[in-house]
Amino acid sequence: MSTVAVLRRLLRLSAPPWGRLTVAVLAGVAAAMATIGLLAGSGYLVSKAAFRPGLGAIAGLLAGVEVLAFVRAPLRYKERLAAHDAAFRALTHWRVWLYDQLEPRSPAGLGPWRSGDLLSRAVDDVDALQDLYLRGLVPLVVALAASAIAVVVVGLVLPAAALVLGLSLLVALVVPPVIAALTSPGRGREAVVRGAVGAEVVDLLQGAPDLLAFGCEDQFLEQLESADDELARLARRRALAAGLTSALLTLLIGAAVVGVLVVGIEAVRTHRLSPVMLAVLPLAAIAAFESVPAVTAAASRLGDVVAAGRRLLALEGIPIPVVDPDRPEPLPEGCPTVALREARLRYADDLPWALDGVTFELAPGSRTAVIGASGAGKSSLVNVLLAFWPLSEGQATLGGVPLERLAQDDTRRAIALVDQEARLFAGTIGQNITLGRPAASALDVDEAVRQAQLRSWVDTLPEGLATPVGEQGARVSGGQRQRIALARALVAGGAVLVLDEPTAGLDDTTADRLLADVMAAGGTHTVLLVTHHQRETDGFDTVIVLDRGRVVSLDDPYRRVGVRIRR
Amino acid sequence: MPPPAAERRFGGLIDRRLSARVALTRRYLVLAVSVGVAATACVVAQAVLLATIIERVVLHRATLGAVRPEIIALGLTFGARAALGWLGEVAAQRTSATVTSVLRRQLLRHALDLGPGWLAGERAGELSLTATRGTAALDTYFGRYLPVAVLAGLAPLGILAWVAYTDWVSSLILVGMIALVPIAMIFFGREATKRTRRQWRRLSSLSARFLELIQGLPTLRAFGRGDQGRREVAAATEGLRQTTMGTLRVAFLSALAMEFLAGIGVGLVAMVLGLRLLGGTISLYTALAVLLVSPEVFLPLRRAGAEFHASTEGQAAAERILSVLDQPVDKRTRREGVAPRSATPIVLANIAVTYPGRDTPALEPLDMTLESGEHVALVGPSGAGKSTTLAVLLGFVAPTTGTVTIGGVDLEGMSLSQWRRSLAWVPQRPYLFSGTIAENLAIGDPGADTAMLRHAAELAGLGELIDQLPRGLDTVVGDGGLPLSAGERQRLAIARVVVRDAPVVLLDEPAAHLDAHTESTLSHSLAPWFEGRTVVVAAHRSELVQRIDRVIHLGQLQEAST
Repeated sequence: MSTVAVLRRLLRLSAPPWGRLTVAVLAGVAAAMATIGLLAGSGYLVSKAAFRPGLGAIAGLLAGVEVLAFVRAPLRYKERLAAHDAAFRALTHWRVWLYDQLEPRSPAGLGPWRSGDLLSRAVDDVDALQDLYLRGLVPLVVALAASAIAVVVVGLVLPAAALVLGLSLLVALVVPPVIAALTSPGRGREAVVRGAVGAEVVDLLQGAPDLLAFGCEDQFLEQLESADDELARLARRRALAAGLTSALLTLLIGAAVVGVLVVGIEAVRTHRLSPVMLAVLPLAAIAAFESVPAVTAAASRLGDVVAAGRRLLALEGIPIPVVDPDRPEPLPEGCPTVALREARLRYADDLPWALDGVTFELAPGSRTAVIGASGAGKSSLVNVLLAFWPLSEGQATLGGVPLERLAQDDTRRAIALVDQEARLFAGTIGQNITLGRPAASALDVDEAVRQAQLRSWVDTLPEGLATPVGEQGARVSGGQRQRIALARALVAGGAVLVLDEPTAGLDDTTADRLLADVMAAGGTHTVLLVTHHQRETDGFDTVIVLDRGRVVSLDDPYRRVGVRIRR
Repeated sequence: MPPPAAERRFGGLIDRRLSARVALTRRYLVLAVSVGVAATACVVAQAVLLATIIERVVLHRATLGAVRPEIIALGLTFGARAALGWLGEVAAQRTSATVTSVLRRQLLRHALDLGPGWLAGERAGELSLTATRGTAALDTYFGRYLPVAVLAGLAPLGILAWVAYTDWVSSLILVGMIALVPIAMIFFGREATKRTRRQWRRLSSLSARFLELIQGLPTLRAFGRGDQGRREVAAATEGLRQTTMGTLRVAFLSALAMEFLAGIGVGLVAMVLGLRLLGGTISLYTALAVLLVSPEVFLPLRRAGAEFHASTEGQAAAERILSVLDQPVDKRTRREGVAPRSATPIVLANIAVTYPGRDTPALEPLDMTLESGEHVALVGPSGAGKSTTLAVLLGFVAPTTGTVTIGGVDLEGMSLSQWRRSLAWVPQRPYLFSGTIAENLAIGDPGADTAMLRHAAELAGLGELIDQLPRGLDTVVGDGGLPLSAGERQRLAIARVVVRDAPVVLLDEPAAHLDAHTESTLSHSLAPWFEGRTVVVAAHRSELVQRIDRVIHLGQLQEAST
C-alpha cells in the first residue's frame, strides 16, 4: 500500500473532526502571523520613531505591537487544545475500527496477532495515529499557510523581497523534511537492526539461566554487541544527516535575511521603498522561519504514523474465519445433542492437522472429559464448538443442525464457555456474572452464585455483588475468578457447558474443590471438560484422550450415559 | 507532566553519574557548552551587524557598496551558526548513539554477572524493557534535550549581559520577564501536577480499558457481547478525551505563561525603545540591535520547555540503568578462579540457602555426596528446595552456609564457567530462543554437527515432530515462529542436554509436561545415555531416569536408599 493510500485510508477512518481542525489551524496561523507582526511591527516602530515624528504618529503602531504581544500566547494555547481535542476525537474512530477488525477474527482467526504482545502493540500503534493530526498535519498546514501569508505580506512591501523570501522558504519547507523522512530511524536497515537488538536483549536476559548453564553467554553477548555496533554506526550516519538539515535551515534563514536586505537597500536607493520599511524585511524573514522546523518534525512523525497505519491496515487482509449464514436456522429447542463426525481442522494448508478425524457425541446431560497434552487439539475443539473456527472437513452439529447453518451468537447461546484463566472485566462482580445475559433476574444471579459456591465469599464483602473486581480482575484470587466465570456461564443459560482448563493456574486443593463444585453445579447441563490432568477426569461418564488431533483412547465406562462413539 | 522538584534537582547528579560511567559524556558536555557559547556570540554579532546596516541605510542613506563589508560579515555569521549547529547536532546524536550503546552493554554484562538468582521473577522482563525502551529514552535525552538544555542555561545569560552593556533599561525589562518565568512555571506546574494526580487513576484506568477489551475479545464473543465491547471502546475513549482535555487545559498553562512572558517582554522592550527614540535618548542602532536579540533570550527556554518530557523520561531511564549498574556483584565471578580437577565426587556439606529478604530458608541444611556415575533423585513437596539445590550446583546461588566441593576443590574459588563445562541442565521452564530448532539445540554445544543434533532430537522423542516439519531442524521456533507446547519445549531441553554430552546431568522436573506414555518411551531411549553419567533428578515423581540409586527426601532431613 502506498504512503498516500495509507494516509488517505487513515484519514477516512478517522471521520476527520473538521471543526476542531479548522480552529486549530486558524489559531496556529494567527499565532504565527502575530509573531511575524510583532517582530516586523517593532522594526517599523523603532525605524519610524528614530525620525522623532511625535507620539501621535506612532501611538497606533505602539498599541498594535502590544496587542500582538498579548494575543500570540493565547492563540498558541488555543491551537494546542483544539489539535489535541481533534486527535482524541479521531482516536475514538480508529480504536473502534481496530476493535471491529479484531472482533470477528478473534480468537482463532488472528493467527500470530492473537499473542498478547502483538495486541498491545496494535493498541500502541492505534494510539500513535493521534500524531497524524497533532504533530503531523496541523503543524504542517500551519507552517505552509504562515509561510504563504508571510510571503504575501512582504510582497505588499516589496515584491522583489517576497521572491527572495519565497524561494528560501520553499527550499526550507521541502528539502529538510525529505532528508528527515529518508533518514528516519524507523526506516530501512536501522529499523531491522533495532528490532534484532531488541529480540536479542530479550533472549539474553530471559534465557540467561540457560545461557549461563551452558556457557553460551559470551557468544550471545558478542552477537548482540556486533548488532549493537551496527546500530550505533547507523545512528551516527543518521546524525550527519540530522546535522546537515539543521545547518541547511540556518543557511536558508541567512540567505533570506541577507537577500531581502540587499534587495531592500537597493530599493531604498531607487526610492521604491521608504527607508523606515527596510527593517521590516529582515525581521519578517526571521519570524517567517519560526514555524518551519515543525515541518521537518511533522514529516518524520507522519513517517511513523504511516508505518503504524500500514501494520494496522494489514489486519483487513486477514480472512474472517466464520461468517454467519444469510438465513440462519433457528436454534433447536431444549438441551440439544452436540456431535462431531470425522471432524478435521487445520489453520492453514501448510500446517499439520489440529483435529484429524474426531468423532464423538455429547448426549443431553452427559459428562465428558477430554484430556491430552498441549498441542493435542484441545483448544481447536473449543474453537469449533464455539464457532470461532470452521471445520475443514467433517461435520459438527448442534441438535442435528450443522453449526455453519446457525447464527454464531445462537451457537454461543447454547454452548457456554468457562475459559482458561477466565478473563474478568473492570466492573463489579455482578456485572461480570451477567455479561452473557445483562437482563438476568436477581433470582437467576443468586442461583448461579449459590451453585458456583460464591455465596459465602460474596457475603463477606461489604458491597456484595457490587464489589469491583479491579482491572482484569486483579483484586480477585484465581479460584474466585474461575468461580465467577462459572457463575457467568450458568447465568448465560446455555444447555451445554464447555470448561476449557478451568483449573489452570490454581493449586491442587483449590482445583479439586472447584471441579467438585462444577460437577455439582452442572446439574442438568451437558458438561465438556477440557484438561490435561488425568486426575481431574474422575466421575466423568466418558474420557476422551486426544493426541495430535486424533482420539487415541476412549475410556467409556459401562456406566456411560448415552455417549456413543463410532470409530 | 512536571515532575516533583526533587526529581529535577537530581538531573545534574545523573549527568555526573553517567559521565563517571561513560567518559565520552564529559567530553560531549564540554563541546556542547563551547558550541552554545559560540552560537550565542554569533546571535549577538548578527544583531549588531543588522542594526548597523539598517541604521546606516535608513539614517545616512548608505548604498549597497558602502555597507558591503557588513553584509558579507552578516552572511559569514550565518555560515558560522550553521557550522556550529551542524557540529552541535552531530556531536549530540553521535554521543547519544555511543552512550546508549555503551550503557546497554554495561547493563547486560552486569546483569549476567549478577546471575539468574538476581534476574529471577519479573526482573528479566523489566530489565529487557530498560535495555531497549529505556536506552531509547536516554537517546532522546542526550540527542535532543541536553543540547537545548545547555543552550537554555547559557544563551539567555550571555545575551542579557550584552543587552545590559548596550542598553541597561531594556535589560531590566528582560530580566524582569525572565524572573517571572520560574514563578509562573512553579505556580502553573504545581496546579497541573495537582490536577493530573487527581485524575491519574481515572486516566490510567480509561487508557487500560481499551487493551482490556481487546484482550478480552474471546470472552466477549463467547458470550455474544461483541457489540457491547464496541460501545465500551467508544465510551472509554470519549471519557479519556474529556478527562485528558481537562488536565491539558491546566497543563498547557505553563507553556502559555512562558510564551506570554516572551511576547510581553518583546512588546514592552519595543514600546520603551520607541518612546526613548522619540525622546532622542538612544540611537536607532541600539534600538534595533536590542530588539533583534530580545526574542533570542526566550527562545532557548521555550525550546527546552518543549523537550521537557524527553528530559523526565530520559532521567527516569538513566536512574533505572544506574541502579542496576550499582548493584554489587557476588564475589564469585564467572571467569576467574581455578579449574575443577575432576567433576566428581560432588560433596555438599551442610548446605543451606536463605534468599535475601526472606524469613524462611529456601533450603534446609543438606548433606549430600554424589559419586561418579551415581543416579540420585531429589524428592519432596514443592518449596522443599529441590530447584535451589540444583541452583547451588550450577553456581547460580551461593549457599548461605556450608560448602560445596567438586573433586576435592571448593566451588567458591572455582571458575564457574569452567565448572559449568562439566554440567548439563534441564531447567523447569526451558527458555526457547528465537531461532531455529537446530540453533536452540546447539546451545548445548555450538560445535555439534547436524547428525549429532538429529540424533539428540530423536533420543528426546522429537524425531517424529521434526519429520513432519517441511524445514525440519531449520524450522524457526520461539517468538514469531512455530509455537511449541510445554512438553515439546521440555523435550527440546532434554535433547539439548544430550548434545551437551557432559559428565554431570541435572534434571529439574524433566517430565512435568510429558504424558505417561511419552515419559516411558523416553526413559527407554535415554537409559543407555544416562549410564556412566552422574545424574541428579529433582521431581515429585518421575520415571524418566530408569535406574535410581538413591532417593533423597528434602524437607524431611532424611536419606533413604532404594
